[in-house]
Amino acid sequence: MATPRPGSRRRLGRPLAIACLVAAAVVLVGTPLAVLLRTALEEGPATLLESSVAAGPAVLATVWTSLAAAALAVGLGAAIAVITERTDVAGRGGLRLAMLLALIMPGYVAALGWLSAYGPGGLVDDLFGLEVSALVGPLGIVLVMAAEAAPIAFLIVVAGLRTRAEPDLERAARASGASARETLTTVTLPLLRPVLVGAGAIAFVLSATSFGVPAVLGIPAGFTTMTTRIYRDLAFSADPASFGEAVGLAVVLAVGAALIIALGDWLLGRGASDRSGAFGGPTGSMGPGPGPITPGAGHGRGHSALLTGAAWTVVVIIVVLPLTGLLATALARAPGLDPAPANWTLDNFRAAADGRTLQALAHSLVLAGAAAVGVISLAVLAVTVRRGRGAGVVGGLLGLTFALPGSTLAVAVLLTYGASLRDTLLIILIAYLAKFWALGYRPVAAGLDGIPPDAYRAARVSGAGAWTTIRTVVLPLVRPMMVAGGLIVFMFGLHEVTMSSLLYGPGSATLAVVVLNLQQLGDHGATAALALVLTALVALAGLPLLRRGNGAGGAGWRLW
Amino acid sequence: MPRQRLLPLTAATMSALLCLLTFGAPVTAQEQASASPPPAGRVTVYTSVTQDTVDAVRAALAAVAPELEVEVFRAPTGELDARIASELRTGGVGADVLWLTDPLSMERYQEDGLLAPLTPAVSAAVPGAYQGQTFVGTRLLNLVFVAGADVVDAPGSWADLAEAQGVVIPDPGFAGSAFAALGYLGTTDDYGMGYFSSLKDHGAVVVSSPVDVVNGVAEGIYQVGVTLDQIGRSTMEKGAPVQLIWPEPGAIALYSPAAVLADSEDEEAAAAFLEFLVSADGQAAIAATGWQPVRDDVPWPYAGPVVTADWDELYGRQAELLAGFDAIFGD
Repeated sequence: MATPRPGSRRRLGRPLAIACLVAAAVVLVGTPLAVLLRTALEEGPATLLESSVAAGPAVLATVWTSLAAAALAVGLGAAIAVITERTDVAGRGGLRLAMLLALIMPGYVAALGWLSAYGPGGLVDDLFGLEVSALVGPLGIVLVMAAEAAPIAFLIVVAGLRTRAEPDLERAARASGASARETLTTVTLPLLRPVLVGAGAIAFVLSATSFGVPAVLGIPAGFTTMTTRIYRDLAFSADPASFGEAVGLAVVLAVGAALIIALGDWLLGRGASDRSGAFGGPTGSMGPGPGPITPGAGHGRGHSALLTGAAWTVVVIIVVLPLTGLLATALARAPGLDPAPANWTLDNFRAAADGRTLQALAHSLVLAGAAAVGVISLAVLAVTVRRGRGAGVVGGLLGLTFALPGSTLAVAVLLTYGASLRDTLLIILIAYLAKFWALGYRPVAAGLDGIPPDAYRAARVSGAGAWTTIRTVVLPLVRPMMVAGGLIVFMFGLHEVTMSSLLYGPGSATLAVVVLNLQQLGDHGATAALALVLTALVALAGLPLLRRGNGAGGAGWRLW
Repeated sequence: MPRQRLLPLTAATMSALLCLLTFGAPVTAQEQASASPPPAGRVTVYTSVTQDTVDAVRAALAAVAPELEVEVFRAPTGELDARIASELRTGGVGADVLWLTDPLSMERYQEDGLLAPLTPAVSAAVPGAYQGQTFVGTRLLNLVFVAGADVVDAPGSWADLAEAQGVVIPDPGFAGSAFAALGYLGTTDDYGMGYFSSLKDHGAVVVSSPVDVVNGVAEGIYQVGVTLDQIGRSTMEKGAPVQLIWPEPGAIALYSPAAVLADSEDEEAAAAFLEFLVSADGQAAIAATGWQPVRDDVPWPYAGPVVTADWDELYGRQAELLAGFDAIFGD
């Protein structure tokens, strides 16, 4: 791979950036993992080995469900992204907003939403007498985890389409007589490959570390995954052997997931060609997207209607109905009542508006915002420093803490920093940064891989210094990815509950912790209400962007 | 470190106890409380008890001891025990009082020497069956049956349940309260682990929590399930189509224990909090949130016969019992 090297005239910037990164990696990833491993080994390496072997079936269950969910999520997310960004599908703004809304549903709530929409006694059952009994079990786990990860894949691919895919090339292909499908498969998708790989890696790890979905849909089927097993061990952590096993298995899960990602990166990255020759020249991807290039006005109206129908069907199934099911749960006075106004109450929403929640909301906003800014800053540092090379070591290392289940990562952070930072917002922020770093890093790295080296070279040849080049060439090109990554981190930070519920103290409770604590041992109604309140907040923030985008010359919804 | 600190502490408490026995033996808890000034200080409580119960107790306590400042960290049992385990390995638990849902982890903390001995006032307030050496029961959680409102031939006894159709039970690996059923039924001669094989053979399903049991029964997915009386009752009172059945020969009861940590910075204040929990006022506050008080002299309208597992006997057998359960209900 031809890698542009900054000349010998190196400034202070690069070593400083590297120092910052190393420090962050040590603080956020290295030390907590080392502490966790030490704690596991205190129970004896033999115990760790034994419990890993005993966890064999759970490991297998986690790997195959997560791989299937990741494949499905990337397929769905990418398909809808291509449809909203590259076709003249009807209601594309609505599609985009719906996908964004799905992002705010935490896994546990999403699983409840699916159950209340499609399960026995659910919405579809009440209305049409239809139920999906296979929803409880591995199939349901795969479906819901895929539905949960699809919006992230969607966001990343949308940003990727704006950063990487060169509309000029697509137009050239079309002008040269290629069909819409040929253009898609020979130009758009190959260019998107790193983005798809990045989205797949995130979807895989999110699924592998998801606890809420297998807890709701796996346990009734006797289907055990790594996360439900680890949580069980943690529930008995008064017993050092149980505690040791929980953290040991978590390390096994993290290392395993990181290995699978590294393997995937290597396999999928092998065929990637250096685009310098074939696709040289600066891209036209700044500014608004290219607009519809597929089915033009001349032909394929039916085709377009088909796409519109397909996209909306998917969105209705994975977003609208589960959200409606949640609404029904949140409004219901008690479980098991018919969805009729006589049985509705706002009590569950009142719980979400308890006096304590205001301060907690402020904490959540600050934490989510700080995590988003921090993660994106670190990601930009990381990708600018290792410009031009594969995801490699940095990506793998970041995957390690991302692949720890939230409860175990919180334990690691508490073991490492608890003595001095216990009960502060800072310790929660450290956990958020460690967990979400990869969420922001992957999209930014994928975006950066798409920048033609010639753009960088041209700037350098024209006399720009390394920093100037990064500031004027690199950063503007990866901005869509930075915004997408930051948005994902912000949403995850806003509804995070597993780590916060272990790390909060008097005066540092987050919104989800306060609201869920107010519940009776996990009452579904109020949990659903909280998720809907958060969804409404996001929708309110998203709507103005939607409207502004539509006004801007038909380029569509421009979040970035 | 806690173990080392425990020695002088135990000695001090023993001598205090001796003094009390010698000079103050006839003084009852009530008289003592009214004689001394209201307790003051600052107490941090780690608890897995429901928030409304904690809030009710705090409010009642503030009325009699406004100078006693109470900070609460509340989390589900798993998160709470994980936090304690982490803090134990990094300089000690940040709590003065632990108030948990089931006695199992308390047994462990007691064995590790983390807990301070009970004061005589606390010990005297609660029936002997509901306390250990260093921890005391504060409320009873009763495992009962919840059935759909339209189910006519619902099982009436634990024995009937094993033969019933459409049964749902909570996962003993997730909820300490659910473990009580496994502990009691799995180790009692009349039932044994074969009881769970029978449940499984008749198509019983495991869900993660007692709340999920009630929801599933209410939605008509299951006919009858095992859950906690307070959860079943509160859901029924909200209008859910369910009925509560108090099983023969009794509900499986477990007690929610509280204890003072041996290295508490303000042991007096911590002990005062514990004393309030088992006082008539504290018990009334707990009862008002639907949980059965552990003292039988505090009124509670729903009481029925109970059976209990021998927690001392169960302690140390969790892994074995859970493995047996998984062998039956795993896929």
